[in-house]
Amino acid sequence: MTAVEEVRARPGSDRTVRVASRTGRTLLAVWLVLPVVPLLLWAFADRWTFPALLPQEWGTRGLDEALAAGAGGAFAHSTVLGAAVALLATPLGAMAGRALTSWQLPGSTAVLAVLMSPLVLPPFAVALGLDVLLLRLRVPAAAGVVMLLVVAALPYTTVVMRAAYAAHDRGFEDEARTLGASAWQTVFHVQLPLLAPALAGAAFLAFLVGWSDYIVTVLVGGGQLTTLPVLVAAAASATGSDAQVAVLSLAAILPPVVLLIVVGTLGRKGRR
Amino acid sequence: MSGGALRLARLTRVHAAGQPPALDDFTLDVPSGSCVAVLGPSGSGKSTVLRLTAGLDEPDGGNVHLDGRDLAGVPPERRGMAMVFQRPLLFPHLSVRDNVAFADRVRGVPRRRARERAEHYLGLVALGGFGDRPARALSGGQEQRVALARALAAEPQVLLLDEPFSALDSALREEMHDLLLDLRVRLDPTVLLVTHDAGEADALADTVAVLDGGRLQQAGPMRELYTAPASLAVNRLLGGRTEVPGTVRDGVHRSELGALVLSGSVPDGPGVLVVRPEAVRVTAPDDPAADVPGTVVRVRRRGLRALVAVEVPGPGGASVEAELAAGEELPAGRTVGLVLPVAARAVVPPVPADPLPAAAPCLTGDTLRP
Repeated sequence: MTAVEEVRARPGSDRTVRVASRTGRTLLAVWLVLPVVPLLLWAFADRWTFPALLPQEWGTRGLDEALAAGAGGAFAHSTVLGAAVALLATPLGAMAGRALTSWQLPGSTAVLAVLMSPLVLPPFAVALGLDVLLLRLRVPAAAGVVMLLVVAALPYTTVVMRAAYAAHDRGFEDEARTLGASAWQTVFHVQLPLLAPALAGAAFLAFLVGWSDYIVTVLVGGGQLTTLPVLVAAAASATGSDAQVAVLSLAAILPPVVLLIVVGTLGRKGRR
Repeated sequence: MSGGALRLARLTRVHAAGQPPALDDFTLDVPSGSCVAVLGPSGSGKSTVLRLTAGLDEPDGGNVHLDGRDLAGVPPERRGMAMVFQRPLLFPHLSVRDNVAFADRVRGVPRRRARERAEHYLGLVALGGFGDRPARALSGGQEQRVALARALAAEPQVLLLDEPFSALDSALREEMHDLLLDLRVRLDPTVLLVTHDAGEADALADTVAVLDGGRLQQAGPMRELYTAPASLAVNRLLGGRTEVPGTVRDGVHRSELGALVLSGSVPDGPGVLVVRPEAVRVTAPDDPAADVPGTVVRVRRRGLRALVAVEVPGPGGASVEAELAAGEELPAGRTVGLVLPVAARAVVPPVPADPLPAAAPCLTGDTLRP
């Protein structure tokens, strides 16, 4: 209140703040968008040699090569993997978040620490170690990948849902119960709609974990599961064309961006 | 809609082992179609009464009976009770109409029929035409009206009100009181109301149960509580601030105020004399009708009427509060005579170890002034 009045009292500083804020946002946008620009150019460049500022020949050879390398299948694999991780890690994270906020669990700090541990453990070491265990247990490779990635996604979903449940008013549920809603009806008609923005955010993060994973997919998947990151890495390390790599990279970037916009709109709608 | 008869029998609830019970052996009758208020300060266990009644918490002892049926083990949604909380708790993802239609919808009433009925209940709380608005686009008073309509639309056997009007400003609160009185005439519901406001309990309820420290202190019509409080706690909660310790012998109370004859039979022994300020009459010091003389030490205005504290001289001194007639003025320092009508003299047992300092009654009175 006082800060606002102070700013209002001095119009000069008000303008400075606005200019600084706009400059900051512009820089941030440039920082995020700039790396994508060469990718976009490369994706449609059939020939682009060193001294030229722009590609000399435009075309869809990159796209053709990417499709020939199996981009379609990899895209589908990545989507299914991301969706599977989101589908499993979101409800688990929601349950953990609810339990951690609503009951005085003995040792809830320890439980939280265990759930957060995938963040601090080096994924390479964990994946390598668990690979042996999963092989001995004869767990199918794809199931093993999903299992490990769900664990890796749990810290994100748990943290998001814990915050959401901490801000969630249990009074809404009590009210619904006295109005005649059963426990399940309360979950579906009250709790889920109220938590929808948080659930969407948690699911988005979990999807990203599955969508963008490379290490676990390669080590535990044992080369059976070709996802987009695996294909991008293979194409980039081999002597594939730059255009092909650019197309694959764009295919890996665009779906999360679209999802982010969808989740963002959902969140804004929920807050209104 | 005619309400059911609610009976709470010996309800006990302990929130955490080792702590004193939040509610201790609480028994209360709420006859069909009546409005009973549970009056108590914050932390007295009054919200616990509602949560146990609604089935949101399990009692550690005692039962809730509705029309003679024991509700033990019956989940909240099958108890036929609807609750309105202090916060409106309108579901933010639903329109006003769908909020009111919520109870019907979860019961499987078709959407169209549920919405028609919702409109009817919105009309009852004078919010017809507000149905299409999002729940967040309402003022505080409107939100609480919708919450009331939503609870009424559930056609409960018992309507539970948990300080529903406490967050509203005084003008809105009185409007809501009128609305509730009007709804009682039209729908004849059974209402169990919880409040910390003696004025609200007086305005809305047929009988009032005073709760303090998880224990029922006294239950009865408000008049009775005003004129014959059972304890100092009840007297304080109802805004009584005159407390003169003394002893009773043969129906006479002896204290700094002198010997005052009591009405009715009062057991001998130590006792605190309490008198409602409204009952005390202030006259001239030489008025032969005056029971005690004193000096005005403090004047507090309350609308047209002023509340004066009169210091009665004596070794220990005693303070008596009196309400002046409308428009009457008295400056501090004036010597006056006080008439304490026999019927208004009540004696309550002294509190052996009073945890409150001597100034506490004033504070209590202040916080409870509506």
